[in-house]
Formats: sequence, C-alpha cells, structure tokens
Amino acid sequence: MDRYIEQAVAEIPQLIGIFVTAMPDSLLFSSWVRDGTSWSAEDVAAYFGDLVRANREGLKALGSWSSEMQVTIESAESLVVLRELSSDFVAGCVFERSAPLGMVRLHLKRLLERVSHVLPKIQAEDRPRGLRIMEFLDRYAPDPHAVTLRVSLRAGISLDELRMPASLTADQVQRLEDTACKILGVKQLSL
Amino acid sequence: MPIGDLRQLLADQSLTFLAGIPYVYHCHHYNLFHDQTIDDALGEAEGARVRTTAAHNAFRELLGAVFAAAGATTPAERISLATEVFSWMGQGRMSLDITAAGGRARSPSLHYGFAWREKYGARVKRDEPTDAVAAGFAAATTELAFDLAADAVTAVEQRCLATRDPECEFTLTPGNGHLSRPAIDQATVVRYVASPVRGVDEDRIAAIAAGLLEFMRGVQGDERGLVAAFNVFVTAHLPAYYNETVYEAIHHIERTAAGGVPAAEALMREAGQVCVFNTFGNVLLSPEWEGLVGAPTGVATDVMSFSTAIARGLGFGHWLVNEYEPRKRLVLQATSNYEVPFYRARYGVAKKPRSYFVQGAALAMMLLAETVQWTERPQLTNAYYIELFRGKPRYRVEQTRCMMRGDTTSEYVVDAL
Repeated sequence: MDRYIEQAVAEIPQLIGIFVTAMPDSLLFSSWVRDGTSWSAEDVAAYFGDLVRANREGLKALGSWSSEMQVTIESAESLVVLRELSSDFVAGCVFERSAPLGMVRLHLKRLLERVSHVLPKIQAEDRPRGLRIMEFLDRYAPDPHAVTLRVSLRAGISLDELRMPASLTADQVQRLEDTACKILGVKQLSL
Repeated sequence: MPIGDLRQLLADQSLTFLAGIPYVYHCHHYNLFHDQTIDDALGEAEGARVRTTAAHNAFRELLGAVFAAAGATTPAERISLATEVFSWMGQGRMSLDITAAGGRARSPSLHYGFAWREKYGARVKRDEPTDAVAAGFAAATTELAFDLAADAVTAVEQRCLATRDPECEFTLTPGNGHLSRPAIDQATVVRYVASPVRGVDEDRIAAIAAGLLEFMRGVQGDERGLVAAFNVFVTAHLPAYYNETVYEAIHHIERTAAGGVPAAEALMREAGQVCVFNTFGNVLLSPEWEGLVGAPTGVATDVMSFSTAIARGLGFGHWLVNEYEPRKRLVLQATSNYEVPFYRARYGVAKKPRSYFVQGAALAMMLLAETVQWTERPQLTNAYYIELFRGKPRYRVEQTRCMMRGDTTSEYVVDAL
C-alpha cells in the first residue's frame, strides 16, 4: 500500500504528505511524507482521525451529515484536507499553503480515487474495550511512558493484568475507563 | 540581609542549606511528575492534603530559621522576607493579605501552576489546582508572622493558573493545630552522612561540582519569582517536602494496597529518570556548562563524571562513581543524599532500600552516557524521553546498600540486561 501511494503522489509536486487512518481507532494504515518534512505521519494521523470523527458526530447531531463530507483546514503553513474514503478509512492530505484550491481539489479527486481503489474491505473487529482504552491512553496521555504505572496505581489493577488488557474483567474495564478519563481530563472517551 | 548570605555548604558532602535548612535544585519536569505521582498514589483529595501538609511543615522549618537568622521580628518584616525568599527560590511571586485570623493570598506566576500550564495545558484539562507548595508556604508564613502555633492556619487554593484561571488565589482560615515535629536541619543531617569517599575521576568531578555550586549561587527568581535556566524552570526546593510526600504516600500504599507498591516505587524511580534527563541533560547542553567545562565530547565516561558532578552541584549529596564499564555496569555510591536524614529522623531504620530517586537517576545516567549523541546537541523533548526510556529495558537498577536501612553507605548497581 505504501508503495502504491508513493506512485500515486509522484505527479503532485505541492503535496507534502498523505496519511490514511483506519477507523474507528484512528490507527495509521498507510502514509507518505515528502523527504525533509519535520513531522511524521504517525505523529499527526490519530489527531486528524479524531477530528473527522468529531466532525462526523457533530454533523450527525445537526442532521446534515453525508458520506461525502470533507474537512478543509487553511493554516499559515499548509492546507489540510480530510476526507472519509469509506466508513473504515479516512485520508488526510497536506499541501503547501501556496497550492491553488482548485488544483488541490482536482489532484485530491484523482489521488483519492486511486487510493480508494486499493484499500481493503475491512470486517470491523469487535476489539476488547480494555485494549482500546490502553491504546487510546498510549496515544493521548500526557506522559505515555508512565501511563501503565499510573493506571495501575490509580485503578488498583496489577501491572501483570494491565499487560493483557483484553482479559480484564468488566469491573476492571470500568475502573480503567474512569482512570483514563481522569488522566486525560475528559468526561468520556470517544472510542 | 541578602538571602544569598543565608546559604551554607557542607562542602565535602555536597549538601546545601539555607539558614541551616537543607535545600536542593529541581526542575519543573521533576516537580510536576513528583506531585502527579503522589496524587496517583493517594487520589486527588488526599494527595493535595498530603502535599499541602508537607509544604506547610517544610516552610515552617525554613521560614522559622530564616526569620531567626535575619532577626525579623514584626509581622510586616516577616511577611516581606517570606515572600522574598519564596521568589528567590523560583517558586513564584506571592501577595499576602493576612492577619492572625487568616486572609487571602494570590499570585500570577507560581512555579507549579505556571509550569503545569506550559507543559500540559494544551493537552489536558485539569480540574484541581496544582499549588500545594504555595498553599503550605502561605499557611506557614501566616502562622510565623503572627507567632501562631503549628497548623493554626489552613490554606486552600481556590483558583489556579493550571485550571485556566488568570491567577492563583488562596484563602487562609483558622486550622486545627497540631504538634510540630523537630526540624530536619543541618545538625540532624550531619548525623546521617558517612565519611566522604573518593570515586573514579574524583578530582575532576569535585572541581566541576565546585564550579557549578558557585554558579548556582547566582541563580534566583526573576520579576515573576520564576527561574528560567538551562531550558527548564528551576526551583530551589526543600527536601523535606519531597521526602514527606514520597514516604507518606509509599507507607500509605504499603498499609492499604500492597499490590500497588511495585507501580508506586517504579513511578518514584521514574521521577529520578525525569530529573536526570531534563535537568542534567539540559545543564550538559547549556552555554553555561560549556563555559564551565567545555563543549560536549560525547565520551561516555565524561558524561558519567559530569552527571555525578551535576548531582553534587545541585545539592543532591556526595555521589561518586565506584565502578563504570560503559554499556555494561555502573556502580554509583553516595555517602550522603537528601533523602536519608529525613527518613532516619522521621521514621527510623528502613526495612528495605528506599532511595527511589537515586535509583532512577542512576539508571538514567547510564542511558544518557551511552545513548545520547551529545555532540549533535539534541533537543531534550518529551518525544526523545519516550524514545530513550520506553520499550524493551536495556538496563536494570538495584540498590544494594542503603543508609536508610542502616548500611554505612548507599549503593546503586546498574547492569545491562
């Protein structure tokens, strides 16, 4: 897939990077970033996946969601376009800020058609919530290097048990989730 | 009397005192991680209570000694001197509007709240205030200014920079009072140090440590009462605060939830790693260090000696390298550190080694000496920290001797896995 993306982006000189994230967990599936770029796709993909998810939920609440939804962000340095490719994948494309919007749309249409063509069909896996919470903490906790220890201490779940989060009991998962909310300063986790 | 004139140095043990009360230097990364660990162990409410009480006790010791040494006798004189000391320490600039019955305190720039917002504010929304140290300080100042008994005043932070308020605010109200405990002062400290021992590269380490100690004499709070140095916010801080919070928390866990002890101890060791990576690392990369010692060489044995010298220069005690074989083994020893006197005086002889901070620091020194490309002057970011310390462990640390346990010296052995 990565090699295919490399071929697909070759004709778009103002493209800085593209990342394809798998939903609903915002995990990076495939990416390409132009040589010499200071950020990596791994660093940004999860944030934009969450942005798309929040956007989707917000539009649904407004009753105006459609699968053609696209988010465009015009920052001082770059132009970011996020597009749902399917219910399973989101693509984020980062262009130079100087790229004309019309050209961006044209390139984007061609590029994402090619990318969509080779994406696999995913059978959504009902992954254990404990596992997903630990992965979420790993991405967003302020001190990810210490988060397992912190959760263990706060939730009263042993380190051995936390090493197998898929096997936690319902009560432990609830305590894990409460602790994750506390550590992240949120009322609920958007998993 | 300038506050700097109240400093004393127990030179052969690399221990520093202000009006006879021990102090050390720690950066905001360590301070925030330390407090976070206390709250992880005890929960927010009890954590804040323990931290505030520890700060209250520690500042009663310090300010009582400072007032006596400076001959400050009137409330106005004492309040003024106390806030000056607090600011000098890099803890922030506070305004106190107090009487013997209590009052209010506020600050636009407290070390903990300010640094928390700088480090975590963009990522985490916080509901609880951060400034237990300032609360304890405000309560202690009020009591001592008006010659009140220990714990006659209670301080509670109502607004905080870390919870996105424009400034920190505290209310001071009458407390319940409790018996004060003897101060852990210089006379107490010297009872719990061993005769200094020469380690590997001793002469160079001693010379650099002396230079750093001299340099630190010029470090003091700016107009905000903060010390921005070495790419971190630095505080002169009271070991009594760190020690009381750590050992009260770990004893509590041992009594009530023994299964949590490994995680609690690991986090306390991690705090030592956080300190060495951020403070030692940024000192090593600073222009001040280059002026003092020279440009980074990247040689592992140099980094190990330099780290040992930094520990001494920050007042952590007489650390020495007993044995060092790059990529294989480090045997770090200490004839004094800032944890031992407090533990022995307050709790007696420990049943097991308990210098968690130095355990973590030793491990981090091994990694810093051998992994970081110092000549390339890397940015010591959080991402780099994670890269270094996460994943499959490369070393393990064991404290083989501990003066808290009654051993003649403390020893930390780091071995490659």
